[in-house]
Amino acid sequence: MKRVLCELGELRGLWRAALALVALCAPFPAHALSAESGMQGMAMTALESAKSGLAERIQDLRMASSEVGRISEALAAAVLGGEGVRALTYLLILILVGCGAEWLYWTYASAPLRVIKATRAVSRRHAARLALRRMVLLGAGLLLFAVATIATSAAFTWPAGVHAAVVAATFAVVVVRLAWMAVDLIIVPGPAHRAPQRLVPLLQGQVHWAAACVLGVALALAIGGFVPALIEPIAGARHVAGALRVLAASLTAALLVSTLLLLSRRSNRGEKGDSGARRRLPQFPRAIVVVLLVVAVYGLWLLGAETAAAIAAIVSIVIALQLVSRVLVFYFWEAEIAADAEAAEARTGAEVIDPSLAPSIVLSVARFIIVLLGLGACALVLNAPMSDMAKSPHVLVRLGFELLGVAALALFAHVAWIVIRTTIDHRLERIGPINAGDPHGEPSPNARLLTLLPLLRTTAAVSILVMMVLSSLWALGIEITPLLAGAGVIGLALGFGAQALVRDIIAGIFYLAEDVFRVGEYIESGTTTKGTVERITLRTVALRHHNGPLHFVPYGALGTVRNNSRDWVIDKFNLPLPIDADSEKIRKMIKKIGIAMLDDPEVGHMLREPLKGKLYRIDPGVKIFRCKFETAPGNQFDVRAQAFKRIEAELKAMGVKFADGVQTVVVERPPLLMDAGTAQA
Amino acid sequence: MPIKSLLRTLRLVSGLILMLFVVGHLANLAIGLKSLEAMQAWLAHLMAPWQTPVGKFLLVGSMLLHVALGLYSIAARHSLAMSRTDVVQLVLGLCTPPLLLAHVIVMSMGSKLATAFEPSYGQILSVYWSFAPMLAFQQLFAVIFVWVHGAIGLYSWLVLKPVWRRIGGAVVPLLFGVPILALLGFAEAGKEVLDKLANDAAWRTDITAMVELLNPVRAELDAIQARILTVYGGLLLLAVAIFAGRRLYNRLTPVRVAYDEGLSATGVRGQSILDVSRLNGIPHADVCSARGRCGTCRVHVVAGMDHLSPLNDIERATLARVGADAGDRLACQARVLASGVSVVRVLPAFVETSAAHDSGAWMADSAGDAASGPAA
Ligand code: HEM
Ligand code: FES
Repeated sequence: MKRVLCELGELRGLWRAALALVALCAPFPAHALSAESGMQGMAMTALESAKSGLAERIQDLRMASSEVGRISEALAAAVLGGEGVRALTYLLILILVGCGAEWLYWTYASAPLRVIKATRAVSRRHAARLALRRMVLLGAGLLLFAVATIATSAAFTWPAGVHAAVVAATFAVVVVRLAWMAVDLIIVPGPAHRAPQRLVPLLQGQVHWAAACVLGVALALAIGGFVPALIEPIAGARHVAGALRVLAASLTAALLVSTLLLLSRRSNRGEKGDSGARRRLPQFPRAIVVVLLVVAVYGLWLLGAETAAAIAAIVSIVIALQLVSRVLVFYFWEAEIAADAEAAEARTGAEVIDPSLAPSIVLSVARFIIVLLGLGACALVLNAPMSDMAKSPHVLVRLGFELLGVAALALFAHVAWIVIRTTIDHRLERIGPINAGDPHGEPSPNARLLTLLPLLRTTAAVSILVMMVLSSLWALGIEITPLLAGAGVIGLALGFGAQALVRDIIAGIFYLAEDVFRVGEYIESGTTTKGTVERITLRTVALRHHNGPLHFVPYGALGTVRNNSRDWVIDKFNLPLPIDADSEKIRKMIKKIGIAMLDDPEVGHMLREPLKGKLYRIDPGVKIFRCKFETAPGNQFDVRAQAFKRIEAELKAMGVKFADGVQTVVVERPPLLMDAGTAQA
Repeated sequence: MPIKSLLRTLRLVSGLILMLFVVGHLANLAIGLKSLEAMQAWLAHLMAPWQTPVGKFLLVGSMLLHVALGLYSIAARHSLAMSRTDVVQLVLGLCTPPLLLAHVIVMSMGSKLATAFEPSYGQILSVYWSFAPMLAFQQLFAVIFVWVHGAIGLYSWLVLKPVWRRIGGAVVPLLFGVPILALLGFAEAGKEVLDKLANDAAWRTDITAMVELLNPVRAELDAIQARILTVYGGLLLLAVAIFAGRRLYNRLTPVRVAYDEGLSATGVRGQSILDVSRLNGIPHADVCSARGRCGTCRVHVVAGMDHLSPLNDIERATLARVGADAGDRLACQARVLASGVSVVRVLPAFVETSAAHDSGAWMADSAGDAASGPAA
């Protein structure tokens, strides 16, 4: 079951990624359609541009070395002079100010940081909270450094072109430090006793590789991103810039591929070492897919299709994150989920159907946010600012934008549904079945909840769905006012027509709210229908008669309800004995039986008041004794049977017979015949 | 005075004397913000004390002593586990002699070899800003390195003293203000010099003639510099070799230390308990960064007291100052000689410098926080 759900979750992730792709491609079809030459022509153009792109890269690499010589000479000439000295002087002041500001900050902040570091994380979520606090402290320091450096740099009159270089270098430093911060907060490289602070499920042997990979990639990207942008305009060295980019990209790809292969090998080995219990079905190795993706993105980039490569990279990252988001999110609730599963297994012997509430919500929100971020990144890459998209003349773009709104609504509805469903399901699960095991036992006190909650769940589902559909129509720009008005008119008409239905439903709500009956109770309604409440639906209650037939009674027709299953019942029955029976003796005998029955293993616990009897009426030839006892509802039959059994045995022992059903007609006869008459009584 | 604290005091005093000289020198540079002339005029006043025989002796003696003690402190190490600040301080300190040497030699020997040579700010700044900018780079780095090295030393010494509360507010701005003003003065004076060189032909010929005076003795100056650098490099290598040899030899005998909270860690023979904590990422208070001054690293030794190095004088004094219990040791001074040592950290890893003055009060102060703080 869990597997299927996992799979479903992944499918849903994939589906969302596909949606994102569609939304992304929305701006493209126009080009595609206007290219008159069709598929083949397009392929040829793509191939041509790929060829020239590759040629350009190779050219960059070939020419770079000669250009480096030229630049370094030019740079040396520029630096070795008054200008260079001035630049270095200012740069050193800048470093003093930036580092000094941060150092000053740390003289205050390092003690709190050490407090957090020394705190033991008691759970994964606690670790996340600690990491958040650490992030605030570290981030403030980094921010202070960046702001102080950049603000101070504005105070100097730099030699031409140097200021831009200084700011770019500061940004590069900030990027690398951010990566380092992320590594320190999330991967937490370090000895095993820091493992509880880790926010991702990595093995101890993997963390250092993962950390090195992230840092290396950040470094490569910072160099590839900032340095060429500086070299190109200042020194006019196009080829060196290009070569640097190629180097940075190659380094990134190599780092990613090697780390992925290494990590997947280690984790495989780790799993085998685990135990046989967690054996997995054979799967296509995901690491290979990811490696192929990395290689594909790198290849696209190398062929000059930089935008396509960026979008492919973003889409791959989004898909990859969708695939692992479940694991990543549930990692923080591992303890609870394990406990839940154990409890459910102990109760029902089956796996849990539903994970707990919080991770499900976090998961769906996280998935949505991932897609949103991916779309935002794509928009940045495509240079299509979001603010214009809503007003774009392009219908498809607008549609895509509006679909995004609908997706947000869907997320909202989804979260609301998860909240309601999970809360109700968990509540139901905790209550347990109506009457544990024993179908004739007393219904559990929560039976009413048991009847109301599923009702509530369905109602919630329907109303959420309706609201969601209506608001998404509205978000898509479809006029829903007539729809609503029409619904109102139809509702009115239906209301008149369905008065009975409405009455039933309203009456039902009151019956339930006033706790007139619950599932499992034996009730009698107005006239003839009686039986055990088996099911409570929106309009009817199903009563199982003790002979078998199931009555479906609409609430409106229920009328007065006689509930036989509440609190207690008093059962009375008559005992006809011959007229010459000694009343006092019989009364004592019945009382004794009553007391004895209290200790009976079968019925003793059901009795609330013991059996008692007294002379009730004297009819000609018969003395009628009335007996009564009080039990919990539904048990009177058993108790009565038991009482009869004991009374009969006792009477036999006493030599008293039951009065026979033949009415003795006393006829004034000669005394001779009298004997026969009495002998018969 | 026992040897260990004597060495420490000597290093501190020599460092402070050097620092005093550097402050004066940098203040002189800062006057460049006003004008080149003012700079030159103040040179005589600010540098006069160091021209006297006593001043000269103090300066040169401090320089030699301080470098020697710095190298000794490397040779005497048992591990490379240092705080980040200490690494910065050590590396910057070691880089200083090669960077500073050219300047020092020209200033001190130049006038001896070429008798007509008479250094002035105008001329040196011309060299830096126009004739040989490479020297300017070297000098700029030297200034920053020396200053950061010295500032770290001064700060980490002062911050543990009770007076820091009163003077800290004045010292910290100085630590940043002095080098920044000096660099700004250097830049302003540089502008003036470049301007003069371009527009004042007479001045320019003067300067050029003076700089050319040094040309004949250049080879000799270079030779002196090379010799000093070789000696320094040799001594540095020796210090590093002693450290590495001891480290490699001790590697043969790993030792194990048990901590409270069920932690335990492995180091090698001769390392201090604090070294072992740092190398294994075990949180451990070290407010003075293992200088044996603060007492926050102290541990209560539960077992294996005889497997630790005997008390040295620094440790004894600090333990007495902080009022430690019997059986307490300073983790940064007590070196582990064999396995079987079991300790309990007395102070939490996150104590602040104020805990160095009075750890009892600090613990009482933060008892409320500490109970709820880290656990929450
Ligand atoms: C020439 C090369 C230098 C070397 C190799 C050097 C080395 C050292 C070393 C190893 C320390 C000890 C750090 C510790 O406590 O563990 C130190 C401290 C110190 N140095 Fe230097 N130093 C040099 C130059 C300077 C200069 C030029 C100054 C003056 C600005 C200076 C000022 C200081 C100060 C104030 C201390 C703090 C004293 C202490 O904490 O004991 N040093 N130095
Ligand atoms: S660290 Fe300060 S005395 Fe040991």
